[in-house]
Amino acid sequence: MIPVRYADIDLSNGQVRDYPLSENVVRMFLGGKGLAAYILYQELAPGIDPLSADNVLILNTTPLTGTGAPCTSRFNASSKNVLTGGIASSNCGGTFGVKLRRAGYDGLIIRGKAPHPCCLMIMDGQITITDAQELWGLNTEETQHHFDRKYGCVVIGPAGENLVRYACAVSGERVLGRCGIGAVMGSKNLKAVVAYGTKSLPINDPKSFRKNVQKWVQGLQKSPTTGSFLPRYGTAFWMNIVNRKHMLPTLNAQQVKHEEAEQISGEYLTENYLTRNSGCVSCPIRCERRVMRDNREIKGPEYETLGLLGANLGITSVDWINEWNYQSDLLGMDTMSMGFTLSLAMEMSQRGIKDFGIDFNQPEAISLAIEKIAHREAPFDELGEGSAWLARKYGTEAFAMQVKGLEMAAYDPRQSQAQGLGYATANRGGCHLGGGYPIYFEALGPIEVNGRTVRGKAALTVLMQNLMDAISTSGYCLFTALGTLPPSLFKFGEKSVIPGLLGKIMLSIPSTHLLWKLMPGLLPINLGGLLPHPSVIRDVTGRKMTIGQFLQMGERVYNMERVFNTREGFDRHQDCLPARLVAEPSEPDQADTVVQIDKMLDTYYHIREWSNNGIPTQNKLKQLEIIA
Amino acid sequence: MAYSISDRCNGCGACKLLCPVSAIDGERKELHQINDLRCINCGVCGRICAQEAVFDEKGQLCSRIPRKQWALPVIDPPSCSACSMCVEICGKHALSISMPTFPGDLQVYAILSDQKACVGCGLCDLICPLGAITMEVPS
Repeated sequence: MIPVRYADIDLSNGQVRDYPLSENVVRMFLGGKGLAAYILYQELAPGIDPLSADNVLILNTTPLTGTGAPCTSRFNASSKNVLTGGIASSNCGGTFGVKLRRAGYDGLIIRGKAPHPCCLMIMDGQITITDAQELWGLNTEETQHHFDRKYGCVVIGPAGENLVRYACAVSGERVLGRCGIGAVMGSKNLKAVVAYGTKSLPINDPKSFRKNVQKWVQGLQKSPTTGSFLPRYGTAFWMNIVNRKHMLPTLNAQQVKHEEAEQISGEYLTENYLTRNSGCVSCPIRCERRVMRDNREIKGPEYETLGLLGANLGITSVDWINEWNYQSDLLGMDTMSMGFTLSLAMEMSQRGIKDFGIDFNQPEAISLAIEKIAHREAPFDELGEGSAWLARKYGTEAFAMQVKGLEMAAYDPRQSQAQGLGYATANRGGCHLGGGYPIYFEALGPIEVNGRTVRGKAALTVLMQNLMDAISTSGYCLFTALGTLPPSLFKFGEKSVIPGLLGKIMLSIPSTHLLWKLMPGLLPINLGGLLPHPSVIRDVTGRKMTIGQFLQMGERVYNMERVFNTREGFDRHQDCLPARLVAEPSEPDQADTVVQIDKMLDTYYHIREWSNNGIPTQNKLKQLEIIA
Repeated sequence: MAYSISDRCNGCGACKLLCPVSAIDGERKELHQINDLRCINCGVCGRICAQEAVFDEKGQLCSRIPRKQWALPVIDPPSCSACSMCVEICGKHALSISMPTFPGDLQVYAILSDQKACVGCGLCDLICPLGAITMEVPS
């Protein structure tokens, strides 16, 4: 294994020291969100206030970060979750992670609270805390312009400073969007973390590494999803499909389709707005959009933003969404949580519960509302607390589209049972990725899994959740998983029975449940063609890793995060969905178009080897080496 | 070991200006110094120094080389995936990704868009995960 170096920084007294990590812990979690969850479990006392000096913020990478392996510039931020009180993790494709490693550190553990606004500078292995009074109040673009273009930055905007609970942190044009990482930085008076260095990064077997990376890049370029759909249309490529399948949250998920969704689709965006595509560093997929605003090229919106600030608010104007997307990045706010918080406020006004002065399909008032949320100005200051808080105050929990406190993504799960189960059980809250993204098989991808049945769904969700966490904790982008599906799968026409048949096989007990039961013994070999991720980890770290071990690492991460949540008092009661999703059929005449969570949860716990109350058993934790 | 500057330095500032990783410090007309934590041993300072005041990492005196003879990156478009590792690591911002030639053109790749800015340090060649870059003296 290659050595990792974490710094332990206390902003309260300015002390910096190295944080000891045993080789065994690094072997178990590799880096990223898994290792961060482990450290947080050790370092945090249960019950602390996430916005107090007691919270710890971890910014970390993995041994792959900066090596140039496909889609591995990503870095992770973890802390106690401002929105849920459980674990928070957020993942970003900005350049900070690469620069941090080249500066000599694999991770930063940031504690305490600085007495005044400060920056953390990591330059060539040396860490200093500098004054940031003059940066306080600046937006994220102005703040980053303050530093040399060569440096890698993570900065917050006014929303983070003002402790908006879904404030994000920005690195270049990419964001640590979810779970209020920006608010944690704001609560610590930490305006920016800046890294630069020139240390070369170790690769254990450079020859094999280059060979495997070349092969993998070719595979990603040949795959229809990662080689064509995503670079051509961006993540919004899924908009028309999701709308057609009635899974697009519209008007705060009162409806599941929008007549004019075509006008916020990836195809429409490409035809009418796109200047070119772009990508995170080290990514050959390049799904990022570039659009023009006031004669200047800026970042275009992602699917989630188009969905949640679009159809969800009754808006189908890309011009408005581009504007709000850019504005939210400058202010430092997550467009997803903000989208469902705004739509909740709109529905409350529609129902006469509380009038915030914003309504569905009324774009004019929204820009001002966004500005005022970030600056916590009345009456929008309440919206800065997030939808769960708002729902508790006004008794509107039934239609606050959040789980555990974190707002959901732009996929309505009522006809995608596995995704519904994923949302309910995801450790960080209503997250489509923490939920395993099984909707890819239930709606988006080339295999047609029946989204309405609950049969086999618990196993599918477990498998996908573990896969997502394995990919994420090793530092890859989750889209690399989509590139592993054979291109031939995409060739079947609409009338072909094969995609449906494959879907049925996926849901049958032996294929997922049993497969999982036999992990990691079942796949003891390392087939690069099937899943290239473990091979490249081996090339970089020198550690042998089979596909089974890779997936088990994902399971370990998932359980580690769950253990953290359990200590905070989470159990079965928190694995639930808003009443709208379990009691209001998305097709009013079809009673089965609700998430039948009660029919899946017991099986889910059983497969995970957790108790009926949703708590990991000692046996399971021993098997995963989380406890001795 | 890193490069170093001897007291023959007259403080002209040419090396500081060219260093691709901003590893050199010094006031004008005063002795300059190389930050050994940051120096990448690329040799640019040694090649530009008119005073022959720079020693390489092995302690050998560097000779001045006319800029026309410096090797610059040549990128092989079919091997390049436009992953931007080279664009990002270039301290001189001399590289960029080519513009699409028509709407929907996905065949973009890294190019040396600002040849004058390039100092031939070779970081891009070192970092390219696909081996798409070679360093060649322009003919």
